[in-house]
Amino acid sequence: MRVLDEDLRRTHLPVVKSGGKVFGASFKRPLSSLMILAVAAITLTKPAAAQNGTMTVSAAPGGIAFTAGGGGSLSGQFGTMNALGLGTPATGVTVIPLTNGALYLTHYQINISGLPNPHQGAVSAFVNSNFTHPTALIMQSCPSSSTCNASGSFSAISLNAGAPTTVIPAPGISNQTVTVGLAVFVPDNNGAASFTGADTARITLTATDTTNNKNFATAEIRLDTPVGETVQNAVQLTLATATGGVTISPGADFAVNFGNVNGLGFGPGAGLTTVAAAGGVVYSTPYLLQPAFSAFRSTTATIKTFVSSNFAHPTILVLRDAGASGGPYNNIGTTAGTATQITNTAADRSSITRFLGLFVSNTNGATAFQGSDSATLTFTMTVP
Amino acid sequence: MKKYFTIFALGMMVLSTAAFAGTTATNTNTVSPTLQISATVQSAVQLTLSTGTAAVTHCAVTPTGGTPDYTMSFGTVDALGINAGNCNKFAPTTPGVSNAIYWSDYNLNPVFTSQTVSTNTITAQVTTDFAAPNNLFIVRDSANSSTVPASAAAFTAVSTATPDTIVTNAASGSTQTRFIGVAVTPANGTGVTGAKSATVTFTLTVN
Repeated sequence: MRVLDEDLRRTHLPVVKSGGKVFGASFKRPLSSLMILAVAAITLTKPAAAQNGTMTVSAAPGGIAFTAGGGGSLSGQFGTMNALGLGTPATGVTVIPLTNGALYLTHYQINISGLPNPHQGAVSAFVNSNFTHPTALIMQSCPSSSTCNASGSFSAISLNAGAPTTVIPAPGISNQTVTVGLAVFVPDNNGAASFTGADTARITLTATDTTNNKNFATAEIRLDTPVGETVQNAVQLTLATATGGVTISPGADFAVNFGNVNGLGFGPGAGLTTVAAAGGVVYSTPYLLQPAFSAFRSTTATIKTFVSSNFAHPTILVLRDAGASGGPYNNIGTTAGTATQITNTAADRSSITRFLGLFVSNTNGATAFQGSDSATLTFTMTVP
Repeated sequence: MKKYFTIFALGMMVLSTAAFAGTTATNTNTVSPTLQISATVQSAVQLTLSTGTAAVTHCAVTPTGGTPDYTMSFGTVDALGINAGNCNKFAPTTPGVSNAIYWSDYNLNPVFTSQTVSTNTITAQVTTDFAAPNNLFIVRDSANSSTVPASAAAFTAVSTATPDTIVTNAASGSTQTRFIGVAVTPANGTGVTGAKSATVTFTLTVN
């Protein structure tokens, strides 16, 4: 605790409430754990009276649950997280995928009571025990003056007790309850500092009477129960439409339609260009590969593709790949073992423009084909 | 009891490797989205003309990029074969009685794809004839071959009523050399001189 002893002697520290049960602790100076437990048991049935104000921290509707922790603190957790914001977050947690990570946020409530009129209380926070992997997990807070539903409302919580982060801004609030936000930002984090596993952090909230500038209560939130916050690695590979290219539409998983094609390259559809080829013509479109991955030692990934389901007329229609619009266009492998490597230096969130070619044979006669056909490419991104 | 524990442990291991869609996954290092590619193959035909290379001289076949598709000019001609024209000529065998022929070679380039058969024809027809008094008419080599005509007798008028077949079963992509010209009759009278033009329509049919 970094609150002045002078203030602590006269205040309840901290008072917390969770799930309708009230937990409280009051002491003048650092106490033994035995004393804390004894006081907590008492206040389960009778909240401590406040002489100069009380701060009660509790779970918000729809937010994460808190349990009573050691030293009168509250303990909770955001659960399993990843920098891409993939999957369903833990109960009470909302995930907002960002361009450089993911923000896992929740809401909780702070009640200020017992302040004499017209005194008001402001609250600030600092991380008193940070994650041991601060490049993988960053505590963030959203003040009561915001709605706390967007990433822009959150900012990193100060690690400095002398320059804490505002939670309830001055001039503060009179005796009432407000909802604020708490979040864990999981940034993209590859390379030597990457981390997967569990980590813990603790935040100290300090309530200040803004009339006399006296601190009147503190509370601690511990993100450590039962195992702390868990970071998983995550991978994502999406395809998208390139500027000037044919539309890549979401399908199972993605789909692209070259429309009407012919062996002479007449009338390519919008987004298509034709490239001369022996025995026919190649219809080509640019497209985007959008790799994203986090919490890996490697900073690069390999992307390969192969024809996992070929055309019914594989001599008439052949899928080809090129790194440039003019080619050269090479046949894409038709087995996983002969997959065509697109790159082995794909970087996190770095879009890659590639060219997909559809060779159309100019064959006539008995083996000629007219009509619709389709094939499937499987792209595989592997982060070593 | 040990057996049950093993089953439970395997179940937890499966749950720990979460894959949310083909495009994303956690707790693993690989992901495999798919892309379905669709196309509809259509048959196609193409017939282009170009300047010939078989005769001694050649009147240029010039693509216009519009309508008509190509033009060819024989230059200044006369029924006695006095003017040289732009390329080749056969003077009348009997001046004042028979026709002078100004002619050139040219190339036909048929291409076709995704056709269930390869049999084909190329026809020619005068779809817009020279204006009256019709002292000019379009002629072609009677042999329908790449052999350079030897005389005016080797030419036949191109039909204005029904298409004349000039190529049969050409291979797709092969160049077919033929000869075309204008016959100048020795007719006299109003309107027999001056610039005149006609249009020949070539048709490639694969069936």
